[in-house]
Amino acid sequence: MSASQSAVRSRAEAVKVSRTFDWLILFALFFIILGGYHVHFMLTGGDWDFWTDWKDRRLWVTVLPIVGITFPAAVQAVLWWRYRLPFGAIVSVLGLLFGEWVNRYFNFWGWTYFPVNFVFPSQFVPGAIVLDVVLLLTNSMIITAVIGGLAYGLLFYPGNWPVMAPLHIPVEYNGMMMTLADLQGYHYVRTGTPEYIRMVEKGTLRTFGKDVAPVSAFFSGFVSIIIYFLWHFFGKWFGSTAFTQAA
Amino acid sequence: MKIIKDKVTKLSFVALLITVTAAMFYAPTASAHGEKSQAAFMRMRTIHWYDLNWSKDTVPVNDTMTVTGKFHVFAGWPETVDKPEISFLNIGIPGPVFIRAGSWIGGQLVPRSVSLELGETYEFKVLLKARRPGDWHVHSMMNVKGGGPIIGPGKWVTITGSMSNFTNPITTLTGQTIDLETWNLGNTYFWHTFWYVFGIAYVAYWARKPMFIPRIIAVDAGKADSLITPLDKKVGLAFGVAAIGIVAATMVSTNEQYPVTTPLQAGLLRGMKPIELPAPTVSVKVEDATYRVPGRAMQMTLTITNNGDSSIRLGEFNTAGVRFLDAAVHVDETGYPDDLLAEEGLTVSDNSPLAPGQTRTINVTASDAAWEVYRLADLIYDPDSRFAGLLFFTDESGNRQMVTVDAPLIPSFS
Ligand SMILES: [Cu+2]
Repeated sequence: MSASQSAVRSRAEAVKVSRTFDWLILFALFFIILGGYHVHFMLTGGDWDFWTDWKDRRLWVTVLPIVGITFPAAVQAVLWWRYRLPFGAIVSVLGLLFGEWVNRYFNFWGWTYFPVNFVFPSQFVPGAIVLDVVLLLTNSMIITAVIGGLAYGLLFYPGNWPVMAPLHIPVEYNGMMMTLADLQGYHYVRTGTPEYIRMVEKGTLRTFGKDVAPVSAFFSGFVSIIIYFLWHFFGKWFGSTAFTQAA
Repeated sequence: MKIIKDKVTKLSFVALLITVTAAMFYAPTASAHGEKSQAAFMRMRTIHWYDLNWSKDTVPVNDTMTVTGKFHVFAGWPETVDKPEISFLNIGIPGPVFIRAGSWIGGQLVPRSVSLELGETYEFKVLLKARRPGDWHVHSMMNVKGGGPIIGPGKWVTITGSMSNFTNPITTLTGQTIDLETWNLGNTYFWHTFWYVFGIAYVAYWARKPMFIPRIIAVDAGKADSLITPLDKKVGLAFGVAAIGIVAATMVSTNEQYPVTTPLQAGLLRGMKPIELPAPTVSVKVEDATYRVPGRAMQMTLTITNNGDSSIRLGEFNTAGVRFLDAAVHVDETGYPDDLLAEEGLTVSDNSPLAPGQTRTINVTASDAAWEVYRLADLIYDPDSRFAGLLFFTDESGNRQMVTVDAPLIPSFS
């Protein structure tokens, strides 16, 4: 068989093979992104995502979208400019969420017995959908960065609020007021995470009083815009080199 | 084609491996058994734990026990360790095998970090509720910011029963009683599943049509715009609007369902109340101290003066939680862990009662395998080879008083 000879004999067969590739590539992509994104996210977001008593109105809201928009921006750059596929961001965050759940369920609960309601991950799905849709509708990196990036930051807190609100109910415990999330952190002993390293409710936004969460979300959105540009370029650069070689 | 297919398959497999590795990348610290590996000077010259009591040896699931005692914050705190200005009273257990139902320093609840003063002694109590059956080593523990964990003595405690029976009922300020062990779990699973399915639905819309190869060919041929149809845009817009709409609606409904929520509580607790110990009436001067490596014994020459009104005897030397007792003076009845207790480990050249007003120079030997087992002897290899500990004197009516010692230590290898 010579190298120039085609491996498929008919158009129907070509379509079939192409479809097989679609699924294989999507599957591989999901797990490759998952691996890189997961490690990146654990190193940068870390404790803010591990424990409910770190998920506050200031730093959690600010930090997670900023470190979480990275891979979605890069993968979008590859999938959109090379394939015109508008699901780079959502595939990334679904990969991350899957990886985080595996980690929390098997390591935090299965191995160390922290209750799942204390260590479940945060999710980025609504923000990622909007990020993908803005790119699809505008075909513009700049508008996606500005509108999508801002939306990514803004949607994070309300998107997670339905699972967080029940843990922010106050309790009186031995003469002190705490939220249920604080109490989880106190009850379920972490020898390696003493209370003082918990970075919550710190920062200079105190002057905004009760409306601190929206202010943090806006701030996070603005920084996400910048990070989006940066990682979108990473993605473009990475995508072009890798695929030129393959072609 | 076959080769590429193999490559993709191989790549998927590698990716799967990366994933598994990444997922296993982090597990929270489960073990607290660092006590022996912690530098000897850290254990001898920072926090001295004493009068410790573990209220039970065996606890059924859902029952409670306490770890109580005192800790002395050593005045000669090492330069190399940050001062305990931000500290957290922890408990050294392998993960949440117990829940910490309460912890107090000097009667004040301490769910947060506290500020401790050098030279002071504090009373503490940790209330534990049994959660997971097994044999667990339960240590007293203090985390010091910039100093790391300072692990105190540990004792084996057995939890019996079944973890599935564990409950953690809490009454909130809104008057509801919930089980914190499982509270909000169903709600969390529901929303995460909901959004996951929502995301998959969006990807599925695009995955219905050919994806990678035909599209890259089209893009490379300059026909990228033909790949997105007006319907695609409409569907995309619908997903985007739905995502924002659902977030907004659930935000509103959540706030209606939980009208009372408060921010996380944090902040340093100051003004921990130390125990007001009466000024010691015994004064101790360390003339010299040597550690005999072959005999696993420390010898001190002490000059003791009794300034009180009752005659005294030396009953105990305590360092890093290891207790050396003179059985003729003091016998432990608290069930202190065997490996940390040398019941006859203290030999005093003349331990007859020292009458008020008198001064005597004595030779004291503290010997036990614990010096080696707990690697306290490593002290002689420290850059600043000093030892420190607590001496306990007992008077005629059985009262104990504590005197701290802190002096250079000379090793002897013969
Ligand atoms: Cu231990």
